[in-house]
Amino acid sequence: MGAIEKFQEVLATRHQYAQDWKKKHNGKVIGWLCSYSPVEIMYASGMLPVRILGSHEVQDVTDRYLFPTVCPFSRDALAQGLKGRYNYLDGITMARTCSHVQGTYDNWKNYVPTPFKYYIWQPNHVQSPRAIPLMVREYKGFIAALEKFTGKKITDEALNKAIELYNKNRRLMKQVYEFRKQEVPPITGAECMEMVVASQLMDLAEHNKLLEELLKELPNRKLDRNHGLRLMMIGSEMDDIVFVRMMEELGCTVVIDEHCTGSRYFWDEVKLEKDPLTDIAARYVNRWVCPAVSAEFKPRFDRVLEHAKNWKVQGALVYQQKFCDPHEFDIPHLIKMFKENNIPTLVLEFDVTIPFGQFRTRIEAFLEMLELELV
Amino acid sequence: MITAGIDVGAKMIKVVIVKDNKIVARSINPTGFEPVETAEKTLGEAIKQAGITRKDVNKIFTTGAGRKAIPFADNNVTEVTADAKGTSYLFPSVRTIVDIGAEEARGISSDASGKVLDFSKNDKCAAGAGAFVESMSRALEVTVPLLIEISHKSTKEAPINATCAVFAESEVVSLIHSKIEKADIAHAVHDAIASRVSSMVRRIPIEKDVALIGGVANNTAIVEAMKKHLGVEIKVPEKPEYVSALGAALLAAA
Repeated sequence: MGAIEKFQEVLATRHQYAQDWKKKHNGKVIGWLCSYSPVEIMYASGMLPVRILGSHEVQDVTDRYLFPTVCPFSRDALAQGLKGRYNYLDGITMARTCSHVQGTYDNWKNYVPTPFKYYIWQPNHVQSPRAIPLMVREYKGFIAALEKFTGKKITDEALNKAIELYNKNRRLMKQVYEFRKQEVPPITGAECMEMVVASQLMDLAEHNKLLEELLKELPNRKLDRNHGLRLMMIGSEMDDIVFVRMMEELGCTVVIDEHCTGSRYFWDEVKLEKDPLTDIAARYVNRWVCPAVSAEFKPRFDRVLEHAKNWKVQGALVYQQKFCDPHEFDIPHLIKMFKENNIPTLVLEFDVTIPFGQFRTRIEAFLEMLELELV
Repeated sequence: MITAGIDVGAKMIKVVIVKDNKIVARSINPTGFEPVETAEKTLGEAIKQAGITRKDVNKIFTTGAGRKAIPFADNNVTEVTADAKGTSYLFPSVRTIVDIGAEEARGISSDASGKVLDFSKNDKCAAGAGAFVESMSRALEVTVPLLIEISHKSTKEAPINATCAVFAESEVVSLIHSKIEKADIAHAVHDAIASRVSSMVRRIPIEKDVALIGGVANNTAIVEAMKKHLGVEIKVPEKPEYVSALGAALLAAA
């Protein structure tokens, strides 16, 4: 089984993977909700951090807990907990970002039986210079709670090891992303998405080995498909691989992304400058920013445009989870920025399930429009 | 060069045959449950009308919701691309196209050559499409032609706010209970559709000239309401339901 097939298998059997890991390592598994959650600390505690995601199935269990105007992802994620699909979790955590996913956390805490629960407070203005010492204090509280729960001390050495592992993972994935710059990319956008999502579900020691295998395989990998037009995908949370696969069958390749389950999650490394906790805090303060924690869009937009140019995109698919206001506020400005740079955009609004036929027509029409533009 | 465009719509299948850049035949049938057979039959009728044989047709392009279901087509294009092409053939001055079909509405911005510059489409809602007119005519117990006719006679504004066909129907029922005139309700129905479609079309830049196409463009009450809501003159071609099929036929010849 190649690395990509292994990623696909982990995605399809994510709950079994975590439970097998627990047995094999006689260990504990901790679920996390937002990409600002410090996975390095969780890993250093000896627990397996797994990201809690939705299932993209119609559900009818969350209306009692969340308003209908809460984003579909937050509802879908809570539904998984309420349905008992994460009953193997020993703990759950999240770092405060948006109020929708916070609703998921609060209801999970109260209504899904999970032994360890810890909410990491994070300032709204995360870019403030005062944020780092504050977050270090918060992390210390998190560490104390983890130590009490696991009975195991989290040493600086363990933190450094976790940082090293995560940094390596980030570097390797960026190397894979480099291959997407090729005129005929040897890896599809859906496959890359599988790789990045798998990194949020797997033990990174194992994921890193698979990445090294993949990097050996990619220089000679040839795909039997029409790579078509080069697209970028931008938005909030996105792990709907079925959708991306459908889209890429229509004559395009997603060559770069900017979203919470993709590049925005992993792109930035922890810089080793001070002590491990300060370095981790600095990483989350300075990382590729999510609109939910910052009203300033320039830092994010500069990076988006830089990536669009470096990966030579011909069009951008801007999608948004319904009711995700922080992202929606950015969309008109994103469209304007792309327009000024001659990159056409298509905006799609996502729900737990999506109207495949209608989205297909829109994407095809968008691709037809782009093709005519290139003539 | 003889080409055919088949628009496999949600409600009707339309065929246009184009010979040397001229329309030579048109035919239409309800889509029904057997779109392939209906497409075959409708194409056959158009071929007969054109006085040619099937072998004379050099290329067939499909478009519309069921465009991929037709095995004998040479290729398919989306309604968006077909609409722009077909409209630019009929009205070269048009830069904004509004297409209202049975289940879908679209706004398209295009250039003189019929190239799509941008577009918007309705989501999962049918309140801005032709099927809504039909369901409202049933609620008001009149035929669609009569609904249109009485709508023009309306003297008072009545509100329908719902953005959903089902909820709008219950609003219509409330209006009936409030003894609002049928003509005013009919007018409100058309107004509601036009408002919904206009709001969607405004996602793209609205530049003159504006054309309204699709089967619903035959509804004069909608045309009036669209003029009011968009605040511009609107061009409506003869037989507006055939524009997508025409675009597909023209693209097949390209």
